[in-house]
Amino acid sequence: MKRILTGSILPALFIAIWEISSRTGQLTLESLSRPSDILRAGIAGLADGSILTATGQTFETALLGLAVAAFAGIIAGAGLGLSPVLERVVSPTIEALRPIPAVAFIPIALMMFGFGISMEATIVAYACVWPILIVTISAVKAIEPRLLEVADTLEMNFAERLRKIILPAAFVRINVGLRVATGIALVVAVTVEIVLNPRGLGYSLMLAQQSLRVDIMYAQLLWLCVIGYVLNALLRNIGPASIVLSRAGR
Amino acid sequence: MQVRAKQTAAGDNAEATTPAMSMDRVNLSYGASPPERRLILENITLDVRESEFLCIVGPSGSGKTTLLRMLAGLVKPTAGEVRFRGQVVSAPSRERAIIFQDYSKALLPWRTVAGNIALSLEAEGIRAADQQPIVAALLAKMGIVRAANQFPGQLSGGMQQRVQIARCLAQRPQILLMDEPFGALDAMTRQALQDEILHLSGEGRMTVVFITHDLEEAIYLGDRVVVLGDTPARIIETIDVDLPRPRDQLTTREDRRFLAHRHRLFGLLRRH
Amino acid sequence: MRKIDPLTIAAVGFALALILGWQLLAELKLISPIFFPSPSRALSVLAARVVDGSIWVPFVATGLRMLFGWALASLAGIAIGAAIGSSRLARDLLEPTLDFMRPLPASAMIPVAVLFLGLSNAMSLSVIAFGAIWPVLLATVHGFSSVQAELRQVSDVLGFSRFEFLKKIALPSAFPDIIAGLRVSLAISLILAVVTEMQASLPGLGWDIFFAQRMYRSADLYAGLVLLGAMGFTANHALLLFERRVLRWRTLHA
Repeated sequence: MKRILTGSILPALFIAIWEISSRTGQLTLESLSRPSDILRAGIAGLADGSILTATGQTFETALLGLAVAAFAGIIAGAGLGLSPVLERVVSPTIEALRPIPAVAFIPIALMMFGFGISMEATIVAYACVWPILIVTISAVKAIEPRLLEVADTLEMNFAERLRKIILPAAFVRINVGLRVATGIALVVAVTVEIVLNPRGLGYSLMLAQQSLRVDIMYAQLLWLCVIGYVLNALLRNIGPASIVLSRAGR
Repeated sequence: MQVRAKQTAAGDNAEATTPAMSMDRVNLSYGASPPERRLILENITLDVRESEFLCIVGPSGSGKTTLLRMLAGLVKPTAGEVRFRGQVVSAPSRERAIIFQDYSKALLPWRTVAGNIALSLEAEGIRAADQQPIVAALLAKMGIVRAANQFPGQLSGGMQQRVQIARCLAQRPQILLMDEPFGALDAMTRQALQDEILHLSGEGRMTVVFITHDLEEAIYLGDRVVVLGDTPARIIETIDVDLPRPRDQLTTREDRRFLAHRHRLFGLLRRH
Repeated sequence: MRKIDPLTIAAVGFALALILGWQLLAELKLISPIFFPSPSRALSVLAARVVDGSIWVPFVATGLRMLFGWALASLAGIAIGAAIGSSRLARDLLEPTLDFMRPLPASAMIPVAVLFLGLSNAMSLSVIAFGAIWPVLLATVHGFSSVQAELRQVSDVLGFSRFEFLKKIALPSAFPDIIAGLRVSLAISLILAVVTEMQASLPGLGWDIFFAQRMYRSADLYAGLVLLGAMGFTANHALLLFERRVLRWRTLHA
């Protein structure tokens, strides 16, 4: 609590000065707007549902891309983590592909899918698959070998092994990777929308700027900070919460 | 069997010389206000005489380290005064070198051994060219010449502690404060370093305050041993160690008086 | 004669197999040549552009953008991070705000930057710098605020001034964190360079790729991707080598 209070001092001061100087005419840049207008625009945007719709679109796309990346990344990561030989062989190719920025694939995705969810989700998936893959490989490599020997003795196939031994054992680490990937998913989704996809928060941000409604633009930026922050907080607690839940379920 | 004049314990040449350091009715508490306030040290009054080797023993967590840090000037007493040569101690100073128990955290891992020792010289503003011979001499003195260009992470515990001592000696301190410096080392290294520190302090007539929980080590090394009780810690007793110098790991430890002191200390600590 | 590790051969073989497989699919027209030009076509386009020199302008443009933005962000990030990290008061006042602003996608600042600076290089650099500063800033704050207590005490005993403490002890102590932050920043700089180029039609590989798509010149597009990958890989590796050199002491053991 005290932390929130001390942390609010400077921002509060900043907002106050901004508001006052724009009212007294000290600060008149059209590009700047003022805190009270921004707040008003924000509330209006929430009330008429426009901000929430856009948020929903962005989340939807990000989630789709994330799900695809998680599915591919975890399975491939598990396979590579279990076989050092395989990992050695595939790893240079991974290292060659990984540095290519996901956004560079926007034109290709555009060609293939046109505007819309699929295009954006593809880019998100490409961006998220690498951290998930890498974290899963290292998580699987760190699994206690005894557990894998148990799987061998019981003659489990790959799917069973994955479900019953690998995923539970590597859960914590993979979870951390997923958290990182979720952050990436959101950022990439918004980026694709800013560059050219006509849906979601990024797009409405660009619209606001182009129609010179700066108050709406800043309000949406603030909203982005808020949901990003809330999402992070939720994710940070999901890990421990799900562990507790899974224990309770036993 | 030589008894070095300066080391006579009780019945000193009562020259009323200012002690190297003194603590007068010092209290130390943690916590701002009554519910959280904990008294750690209570009514500590002691003198550290010039050129003496003073050992302080007590149960774990009894505030020995805190006491040492007050002598160093890193912690201020809640009540009472700490003095160095008569002046009240208000801040740490190069003259009071402190050697930490956790040597790995007290050395700069990114500098070589020579670089670590040079740190003290840099603090005094000695030019790089002039630092060389001093560092070389200290390396030789502590027997770590071979390690000069290695990083602390490459050295054993005993070597790292030697580097820390060398760095402290580079400060040309008036008093050496040592916080359970050999606690983390194996028995053989510990004994070697005990003898080295005795040699160093004797040679330079250095004043040393040495904290340890090892009673035998305290008796072996010290001219006097101060015994602290459990929290809130008070000085239970101060024992004069009337064993002859130079000390010897074998003969001194078998000396009848050594055993008597040991007996006494064990008894005191058991009761408190 | 050093024996070549069979696994390395297998690794190279794997990558080649992928490329050849793709080539085969393209030749057999099993995949659309518009979306997936054959590697040979992409490579020949790349080679042609290297020969006639037209590849260098965009390559250098993107590279410089990335490096300038990154350098700017790094210097600012380290300076500000050092100031914040070494002061309890500053951290208490600023950390909550930093935490709040952190999740903001850097690209979201593009509309703001366009508003103030138009579709220009300045816009691009400021967006890159804004995005790239976070990892360095946060890493530096962490590094400076987690200097070992014992080292602080040693510094006090030796009588170092605050500035000397920061220079001789806090900064080297924070190096590992800072360098990790620099690597992330570099990756972000590349991404934002590409994004801002696409957005503002600034000369560079990002815009090249965008333009190639408009003209349905997919071979050019893939050639651009290869170059971007190469740039990212080289930059990251260079930093990695630098890190190994500077942090040599970390890898040496007793």
